[in-house]
Amino acid sequence: MDATRKMPRWLSLVSLLAFATPVAAHHSVPVNFDQSKDITVTGTLTEIKWINPHSRFRLDVKQDDGTTVEWLVEMGAINTMKRAGFDTDKFMVGDTLTIIGWPGRGRDRSMLLRTAVLKDGTRLTP
Amino acid sequence: MRRVLLAALCVAGFATTAHAQRPDLSGNWIANGGKTTFGQWHLTEEGERRFKAYDFKRDDPALKCIGTSWTRVWLNPNVVVRITQGGDFVRLQYEWMDIDRRVPIVDPTLKNPKRSNIPGMPGLGYSAAWYDGNALVIETSDIEPGYVSTMQEWAGLPQSRMMRTIERFTRTGDLLTIQITHVDPANYRDPLVVTITYPRTTFELMDYGCNPEDASVVEPR
Repeated sequence: MDATRKMPRWLSLVSLLAFATPVAAHHSVPVNFDQSKDITVTGTLTEIKWINPHSRFRLDVKQDDGTTVEWLVEMGAINTMKRAGFDTDKFMVGDTLTIIGWPGRGRDRSMLLRTAVLKDGTRLTP
Repeated sequence: MRRVLLAALCVAGFATTAHAQRPDLSGNWIANGGKTTFGQWHLTEEGERRFKAYDFKRDDPALKCIGTSWTRVWLNPNVVVRITQGGDFVRLQYEWMDIDRRVPIVDPTLKNPKRSNIPGMPGLGYSAAWYDGNALVIETSDIEPGYVSTMQEWAGLPQSRMMRTIERFTRTGDLLTIQITHVDPANYRDPLVVTITYPRTTFELMDYGCNPEDASVVEPR
């Protein structure tokens, strides 16, 4: 019998709960992002990269003056997100998306995704 | 003849006892991110200077898919580490950066025990391992200057060529504890001790496939 199968169920739960903590760790989260405030950005998805150590989106965001600027949205490693059951199939280039997350430190128009809100209102949290 | 038999039995008995004491660390483990204890650090003037000069956008070797210290490797949350114990080696396969570490088990009293390194990651030095009671010990030296950590408030804690680390692995039930002692008189007035726990997991090891182009700090266009 594989020794790993002997793990009690509560420990599996503990392992899963670990994913409730921010998953982007390669660029240390507190070093790179301001965790003291949430920001919300809505735009059109122009790039999706499901990669390690950080997955990322690029988003075209229309500003009040009518011009469009790009936002970079970082996430955790794809391995971690897969384990957490994050549904990557829900995202398509061209979709309108709202991202709630922490702003980058010293990097304009960058953020760490905490929650993604799809056009139909579905909320996904890695 | 009886004496020879008795001696043989004693040796066999010692070997059995020594083997029985060896901790069973084999299996898959995952950092849960919540149980890391960084001891107080007391930097020398040089250590303080290097700590203050650290720039996370420029100085983090992980931006090039490189592990800078074993502590940094262990600190990465939510990745699997698979441990395999052989008769004369211990193998630690880290999902993070696909690091495959096979460390020889040696007699620590030898002058120059056999050691192993990770090609392309000089900050991880040269390691040798042995068992001490219920603990596995891995000692690492010949470390390239760099950083103990590039994460959280510890980001930029330096390591010099004088750095020597002692990782001590113990297991309590389904929890693996790694206590890492850092001895680097060029940067620290006394040893820095970091303790990290890894619960056992049923998750399997996955390929990481880090690409420096993707790992670097990306800016919006």
